[in-house]
Amino acid sequence: MDSFVRRRRPGVGLEKRTQSMADRRLFTENMGGRGILTQRIPTKPFGDLKDRHIVGYDEYVKTGGYEGLRKALTIAPDDITESVKKSVLRGRGGAGFPTGVKWTFLPKVEEGQVPGVDGFHRYLAINADESEPGTFKDRLLMDFDPHLMLEGIAICCYACRLDRAYIYIRGEYHHQAHVLEQAIAEAYEHGIFGEKGLINSDANTAGQRFQVDCYVHRGAGAYICGEETGLLESLEGKRGWPRIKPPFPAVKGLFGKPTVINNVETLCHLPSIIENGHEWFCKQGVESTVGGPPSFGTKLIGVSGHVNDPGVFELELGIPLRTLVEEYCGGMRGGKKYKAAIAGGVSMGVLGTDQYEAELDFDIGRKYNVLGLGTACPTVFDEDTDMVAVARNVARFFKHESCGQCTPCREGSGWLYQLLCRIEEGDGKTKDLDLALEVATSMGSMPGTTICGLADGNNWSLRTIMNKFRDEFEDRVERSFVPVKMTVGAAAKD
Amino acid sequence: MAWITKPSATTKISKRDEPYLTEAMREELTGKILPRYETKHGALLPALHMIQHAYGWVPHQAMLEIAGVLELPPAEVLDTASFYEEYWLRPKGKHTVAVCRSIACEFCGQPEITQAVMKHLGIEVGETTDDDEFTLVELECLGACGGAPAVLIDETLHEFVKPGDIAGLLDEAKKAGGHH
Ligand SMILES: Cc1cc2nc3c(=O)[nH]c(=O)nc-3n(C[C@H](O)[C@H](O)[C@H](O)COP(=O)(O)O)c2cc1C
Ligand code: SF4
Ligand code: FES
Repeated sequence: MDSFVRRRRPGVGLEKRTQSMADRRLFTENMGGRGILTQRIPTKPFGDLKDRHIVGYDEYVKTGGYEGLRKALTIAPDDITESVKKSVLRGRGGAGFPTGVKWTFLPKVEEGQVPGVDGFHRYLAINADESEPGTFKDRLLMDFDPHLMLEGIAICCYACRLDRAYIYIRGEYHHQAHVLEQAIAEAYEHGIFGEKGLINSDANTAGQRFQVDCYVHRGAGAYICGEETGLLESLEGKRGWPRIKPPFPAVKGLFGKPTVINNVETLCHLPSIIENGHEWFCKQGVESTVGGPPSFGTKLIGVSGHVNDPGVFELELGIPLRTLVEEYCGGMRGGKKYKAAIAGGVSMGVLGTDQYEAELDFDIGRKYNVLGLGTACPTVFDEDTDMVAVARNVARFFKHESCGQCTPCREGSGWLYQLLCRIEEGDGKTKDLDLALEVATSMGSMPGTTICGLADGNNWSLRTIMNKFRDEFEDRVERSFVPVKMTVGAAAKD
Repeated sequence: MAWITKPSATTKISKRDEPYLTEAMREELTGKILPRYETKHGALLPALHMIQHAYGWVPHQAMLEIAGVLELPPAEVLDTASFYEEYWLRPKGKHTVAVCRSIACEFCGQPEITQAVMKHLGIEVGETTDDDEFTLVELECLGACGGAPAVLIDETLHEFVKPGDIAGLLDEAKKAGGHH
C-alpha cells in the first residue's frame, strides 16, 4: 500500500499520508500483497491496468488454476458445503445470504439417483445479469478471467450434485458472452465439463460421479431478470416475472427442479476457499460490530461517479468509504467536496454527507440507515450534485423496470416518478413531497404486498434521498400552508 | 417494458415467401440449442436472439416460424418477445446507438452525449435516421459505470465518451457495417 501511494503521488504530503494510514487498518493486509479474485487481473493497487488480458485455459492452469476443483474432488461433497458454511461466505449478488446455508436447502439425492440421468436434473443458475445501476464488478471477472468462474461453477456443481449450469448473462454483455463461450469450449476440450469432465472421472475420488454441462444463456434487456425467480422464468423462455415464494428455488426452481442460484462473484470465491481452507477466508474482512453475522473475505468494489480514478478494486470488506475514495480512487474529482454516495447499487439508498466514514460491510444497513451493502458498488457525488435530480433519475429507473405484476410497485413507481419530475421542475408543493414520501414508504415495506424486492429498492432509494437531503427538496417546492382556525398564546380564550 | 397492448387480433401480418428462420438457423436450433433445455419453450430466448441478430428486428412471421419449431402457441412467442427490450418488434436502423442514462452516467455528462448524437444524426431518442443507418436509444445502466458516460454502439462499448468523440465513433460503426 505504501509503495502504491508513493508511486502515485511522489512527494506530496507523503509523510502525513503514510502516518495517517499506519493508524488505520490497511485493507489489503490479509491478502498477502495480491488480489484473490483478481489474482490474474491486474487491478489497483496490485497491478497495472495496461497488463490486463483474457486469461485462457493454458495460462489459467499454469498459474494454479483448477487446483481448487481437483482438491475439492478428493473431499466429500457435503464436507465442501460444510466448509463453505464455516467460511460464512455471503452472497455477492445483493442480498448477502450465506452461500453454504443456501446449498443445504436442496433436497437430498436418494440412493440410485444420478444427476442428469433418466430426467433427474438439478440445476445451477449463475446470476450474471448485473443490471443494478452503479454496478459493474462481475463484468471484470468475465472480461478477463472466465475460467475462475467456471472453476467455481464446477465446485458448486460437485458439492451440490448439480448436473447443468446456466450462466444467465445480460444481453448487453456481448463481448463477455463471447469470452465465456470461448472459455467453456476450452473447458470441454480439456475435460472440465461434459462426459469426460473431471467430476465424471477418476479424479473424483470422494463423491458420486456424473456429467456436468455448462451453457451460456443470454438475457435480453430486462433488469427484473436479475431477481432470482425472474431469472428462472426467463431461462424457461418466458417473460421475466418473479415467482411467488414459497416454493423456494432450492426445492422447486428451474423447470420445477431443485436449483441453486448464485452470483458470479460468489462462485469465484470458491476455488480459493477450497484451496486455502475456510480459516484463511475468515482472516479477511471484519467481524460485525452490531452483533450481526460477520463480513468475511474480500469484495470487488466498483466505484463510479465524481472521483479521480473510478474503477473496480478488490479490498477486504469493512473499508470505510472515505478511505476508498481518498486512498484508492485518488480523491474527489476537481478537488470538490464529497456530498453523497449511492451505497451499493441504487436499490440500497444513499449515504448522506455526514456518512463519509461508513464502512462497506454487511453491517452498513443497520449502522447507516440504508437497505444494505447490495453489490458494494458506490456511486459518489460531489457538492455540486442536485439530489432532486438524483432522486428523479432513480425513480425513472424503477418505473421503467417494474415488471407490473404487483399493484403497489407498478402504480407506486409511476406516481413517484411523476411527483419527482414535478418537484424537480419547480412545480411541486410541500404536499407533493409528503405524498412522495408516503408512497415511497408504503411500497414494499409491508411484507407480502409485493412479489419481489424491486419495490423495496424503490422505497429505500427514494426515501433515503428525500430524508437525508430534505432541505434540498424543501427549497424546490412551493410551501403549501394549511389554514387552521385557532388562536394561540395570551389572546387565546377558553 | 411490460404491458404493451396492441390490436394484435386485427393487425394484418405481412408475410414474405422466404422464411426468416433459415435452414442453418433451424439446424442450430434443433441440433444445438434444444437439447440444452428441458422444455422446448426454454429455447425461445436463444431463438429470438438469432432472428434479432440476423435481421435487426423480430418480424411477426419469424415469431410464427419459431412457434412452429418450438411447438408453442404464437401468442406465447409474442408474449416473451414483447417483454424484452432487446427484441425489436419493428424495424430499426442498421446500427444502434445506446446511450446509458442511469445514475453514474447522467451525472458524469450523459445529457451532453445524447444531445451530441441527436444533433449529429438529426433525430430524437427512439428515432431512426431517414437512410435507416442509425437508431438512437437511451438505456438503463450498461454495467460500465466506472467509465461513465458509456455508450454502446452495436456490440461495442465505449467509455469516457466526450461529445466531440461522437462523430468519429459513428463513422467507425458505419464502416464496420452489419446488423445485430
Ligand atoms: C430486483 C432485483 C434485481 C436483482 N438483480 C441481480 C443481479 O443483477 N445480479 C445478481 O447477482 N443478483 C441480483 N439480485 C439478487 C438475486 O435475487 C439473488 O439474491 C442473487 O443472485 C443470489 O446470489 P448470491 O447469494 O450469490 O448473492 C437481484 C434482486 C432483485 C430483487
Ligand atoms: S415488486 Fe415490482 S418488479 Fe417485483 S414482481 Fe412485483 S411488480 Fe414486479
Ligand atoms: S450508470 Fe451508465 S453504465 Fe452504469
